[in-house]
Amino acid sequence: MTILYDEGQQAIATESRRVLEARISKDALLPLLESVGEYHRPFWDTAKEQGWTALALPEAHDGLGLGLIELGLIAHQAGRSLSGAPFLTSGFGTAKAIELYGSDAQKARWLPKLASGESIGAIAFAAGPDTLPAQPDVTLTDDRLSGIARGVSGGLAANVAIVLANGPGMPVLALVDLTGVERTAVPSFDNSRCVANLGFAGVRAETLAVGTAARDAALHILALQAVVTAHEQTGGAEVLMEIARDYALTRRAFGQPIGAFQSVKHRIAELYGLVELARANCIHAASREGAADFITAAAAARLSATEAYDTAARDCVQIHGGIGVTWDLGLHLHMRRARSLAIEQGSSLFWEDVLVDRLAGEAA
Amino acid sequence: MSDLETYRAKAAAWLASMAPTYGREARKGLAEADDLALGRRYQKAKFDAGFAGINWPTEYGGQGLGHLEKVTFDAEEMKHGFPNFYFGISLGMPVPVLMQFGSDRDFVKERVLKALQGEEIWCQLFSEPSGGSDLAGLRTKAEPDGNGWKINGQKVWTSWAHYSDYGVIVVRTDPTVPKHKGLTYFWVDMKAPGVTVRPIKLAGGDSHVNEVFFDDVKISDDHRMSPVGGGFAVAITTLMIERYVATDSAGFGPHLDLFVDLAKDTLLNGKPAIEDGRIRHQIARNHAMRSGLDSINVRARLMMQAGMIPGAEGSLNKLVAVRSRQKLSELAIDLQGSDGFAFDEHASQKEDWASSWINAPTGRIAGGSDETLLNTIAEKVLGLPQDHRPDKGIPFNQIPA
Repeated sequence: MTILYDEGQQAIATESRRVLEARISKDALLPLLESVGEYHRPFWDTAKEQGWTALALPEAHDGLGLGLIELGLIAHQAGRSLSGAPFLTSGFGTAKAIELYGSDAQKARWLPKLASGESIGAIAFAAGPDTLPAQPDVTLTDDRLSGIARGVSGGLAANVAIVLANGPGMPVLALVDLTGVERTAVPSFDNSRCVANLGFAGVRAETLAVGTAARDAALHILALQAVVTAHEQTGGAEVLMEIARDYALTRRAFGQPIGAFQSVKHRIAELYGLVELARANCIHAASREGAADFITAAAAARLSATEAYDTAARDCVQIHGGIGVTWDLGLHLHMRRARSLAIEQGSSLFWEDVLVDRLAGEAA
Repeated sequence: MSDLETYRAKAAAWLASMAPTYGREARKGLAEADDLALGRRYQKAKFDAGFAGINWPTEYGGQGLGHLEKVTFDAEEMKHGFPNFYFGISLGMPVPVLMQFGSDRDFVKERVLKALQGEEIWCQLFSEPSGGSDLAGLRTKAEPDGNGWKINGQKVWTSWAHYSDYGVIVVRTDPTVPKHKGLTYFWVDMKAPGVTVRPIKLAGGDSHVNEVFFDDVKISDDHRMSPVGGGFAVAITTLMIERYVATDSAGFGPHLDLFVDLAKDTLLNGKPAIEDGRIRHQIARNHAMRSGLDSINVRARLMMQAGMIPGAEGSLNKLVAVRSRQKLSELAIDLQGSDGFAFDEHASQKEDWASSWINAPTGRIAGGSDETLLNTIAEKVLGLPQDHRPDKGIPFNQIPA
């Protein structure tokens, strides 16, 4: 698959950018930081209205039949504008798990609702520092889930979840309707992610995959989401680089724009390098869905995008000096988002291991 | 298969057939004079097979093809370790500039054909002791002398000057105007009276760069390749000519696979080093960086194929790849511990970590230092202001030393 965007893809990027820039502002996002359990409804309404929720889902189930490249372009713009909720990525991962590993009945039940955005999906694989735990905290016995899944992004608002559970003697990937499941909000530095602990007390769940297949499936879903998130991180890093550049051009000190000082201009040029490497890795990874090296490409995209966004957040604030740390300027929205995206879908520590295992030929 | 892939396959097959005679193995243990002689024969073989001057006009012995074919061939050629670096500068910049700006067309044609066949080598006399990045600050001067010119001064870091028959040179012809405006571009005969070449031994032990002294070197005016005072523009053309050259995300050092193999074969604290988190971190980061550059370069090639101009991100290649290679080479030596002392100054930088390490600084300085590249990105790509330049607009002879 080519890595040059065609006209349709370029139109998706342009239009999503226009819509998001018109509808999302930091003034709407700042108050969300101070309330637990709220997300930015206009963002989610826009995602549904524009068909972004349906974008990468199969046409047979009311999707638009596009793929990771197109969803990545939307995610990039969402990263630039700071998305107001995590559901685009978590819903995509949930839908892909059902599409790839579910039965016809499960697909018919959930995919149209996920495509329309009527249902919100969540992914519950991690147990704290274990991104894909060998012994998950949640157990599945006789088709019933028990235990607590910690720190699930979007978990507070989700209707359905894909859970990695500890089955009898082997891991199980399970699909669970969250109706009636206890959710405890986790107050966070980035509250619009709607992070929750999901408490399962013998709730019915349906098995999608077991044993090694369950782990492989979970890793594949995680990689798909990681590529989407990497685009979002790259978008965030890109806009921070631009904000830093614009500020360095206008702010003057010692009789000249601060952008004329090499300590400042080189810092911004280094950000350009990180953004372009991340972008290049994202474009490559999105084009490799279905190929043998997809996991490797996803890991590279994820690592470079996390580095780009974290560094851009750090350096953009630094270049602004005092004004950069004020609540009202809102650069901390990106600082916070850079960190929440860094730990959603597995941190850099996880992806480094995934990548090196493959490079060293230790994983199939 | 696309035309370009057909071309790649044809080039790869020919290169593979040449490898036993001219490749890495054939060169092992050769003294430099013998290696150069082998290189001249290889260059002639390329010419005879139709792989020299790939993107040059056919009337000058070239093949009349495009940049893409050239870059494709170069990428394949790089794999075999041929003795082609003696001709890299010559055919990369001075000779193409001669083709474009040389006034005596018969002379030009004769020189180009000899250079393409490896019989003659050209060097590029730009940098001086007083300035490398600040090219326009050069001090070597040419004064009117009868109907011609007389050159006095010194150049430095001139690659392969000791083997060169000719060179292109930028000199100051008017010190009373601002620095960029007083320069003129000439070609010179490197065997002319008054030209002295003195090799400089570099940190890694080799001596491919030189100091070149000019003492009353007399040239006629038909050596001039720019208007008097118009030399800076031609110099910039020279530097831009090979903008889309073959790149290497390994920074012209060893492939990452070699590091992975080393880490698998080395025991650290009783366990394979590939299991050590510090080593894994570096492998992962280097892979992510290299795969990003590879993707940038594939995209640039696709854009050129589609008739588009590639983005500015191609300028990241050298900056990012070479400094990473430098650090990874240090780590490879660390990994070997007391076995890491071993050093062979003739070992290939693409295969040997110590050789890669000790020669890495050259890569970060030559052809645009890291700092200059960062300035270029900041100013030309991002639109940030130029540095403060106290010499701007001031006549050259009034700039405080």
